Amino acid sequence: MSTIPFQHKMGAHCESGTVTSLLNHAGFPITESLLFGIASGIFFGYFHKNRSFTFPTFILRNRPGDIRMNAEKRLGIKFKTYSFTNPVQGMDCLDELLSRQIPVASQVDFFYLDYVPAWERVHINVHFMVVIGKEDSSYIISDSYFPKPVKVAEESLRRGRFAGGSMSPKGFLFYPLSVPHDIDYTQPVLKGIKKACFNMLNIPIPFIGVKGIRMFARKVVEWPAFARDTEHLSHEIMKINILLEDQGTGGAGFRYMYATFLQQAADLLNKPHLKELSKELMVIGDGWREISLFAARIGKNRDLGTGRLRELSALLMERADAEEKFFKKLKKCIK
Amino acid sequence: MSEIIAVPTDDLRLEIKQLIMETLNITDVRPESVDNNEPLFGGHNALTLDSVDGIEIIMALQRKYKVRLNDQNLARHIIRSIDSIAEFISSEKSRV
Repeated sequence: MSTIPFQHKMGAHCESGTVTSLLNHAGFPITESLLFGIASGIFFGYFHKNRSFTFPTFILRNRPGDIRMNAEKRLGIKFKTYSFTNPVQGMDCLDELLSRQIPVASQVDFFYLDYVPAWERVHINVHFMVVIGKEDSSYIISDSYFPKPVKVAEESLRRGRFAGGSMSPKGFLFYPLSVPHDIDYTQPVLKGIKKACFNMLNIPIPFIGVKGIRMFARKVVEWPAFARDTEHLSHEIMKINILLEDQGTGGAGFRYMYATFLQQAADLLNKPHLKELSKELMVIGDGWREISLFAARIGKNRDLGTGRLRELSALLMERADAEEKFFKKLKKCIK
Repeated sequence: MSEIIAVPTDDLRLEIKQLIMETLNITDVRPESVDNNEPLFGGHNALTLDSVDGIEIIMALQRKYKVRLNDQNLARHIIRSIDSIAEFISSEKSRV
């Protein structure tokens, strides 16, 4: 089996990067930031300790899969999807698609990808990349996290596709069946922005959107009560940095990507004010990066007294205020 | 038209090593012992960093060289070694 001619591109985020590459391959020339914005990728959710989460955590983007599904709904794209319980069937299906020269997106646990340096490997069950070929017992992968296509051993890919745990991939595969031609982006962009504003400002769930950032700010000072010891607490505080910067592009990165989307939206909707809002969001992104740095420093130095956690809480509260003002202005701008 | 390729200088490489060491308060490593091409992460270089150090380096580079590293994926590859950082800074400077 050979490698399918495929334009490899780095992406800011694995899911939006993967979907963008596949759509471009299918002849639909969309950018990653435009896709991210139309799919209402910007988000915030805080999950306090409960039956599902043994320690509090948070997310900064919509649910895995939402980028693809929102793009499908708003842009009129049709995707073919597959899930499997049987790994043999899952690998056979992948081989069959590749033999038909179809590049196909695969959901995997990042940890099993042997092309990832050992020190970067973590268990994330919702990593996406494109499989573009097979050579002997290795698959050729276009992974938007890497500058060039890479190879992964068949056994590593199988383990990654069929890893267990929360949000297990179940061998999930997808590729675009059809893409529209001559699309008018006005409605998809407007719908994407309206939904993002709703999610951040008005969704009636106390831990989602701006309310979720405020809950995070209030609750982070309680984190020591959930930690086994200082080491555990420092690990969890440093995870704020990892979630904001490493895993899934994080707070600052998603804000920067949405800022780029707003630049494009300003031209598509002929609303120059969106360019001003784009600049404002870049500054908000810088603020998230400051939080990331602060969390990394206090976590690494085990400097985790109540005073430090209150400082962290205050920084988060500032982000909540800034994002609330920003999304209110964005909502008004597109009314 | 041929593309202009910005070649980083040894002075720039040294400056970057010093910046990293000052930022992370590393005093027990000599700049000349840091390999330019070996990854800074993963324990194979005299200067061995972890992922938490990454954000410190990104912000220090942004401040000193007035560059922006908004895309974390790209940033991860740029801060992989002294050479990759120097190449990025050189190419950014040549654009100004």
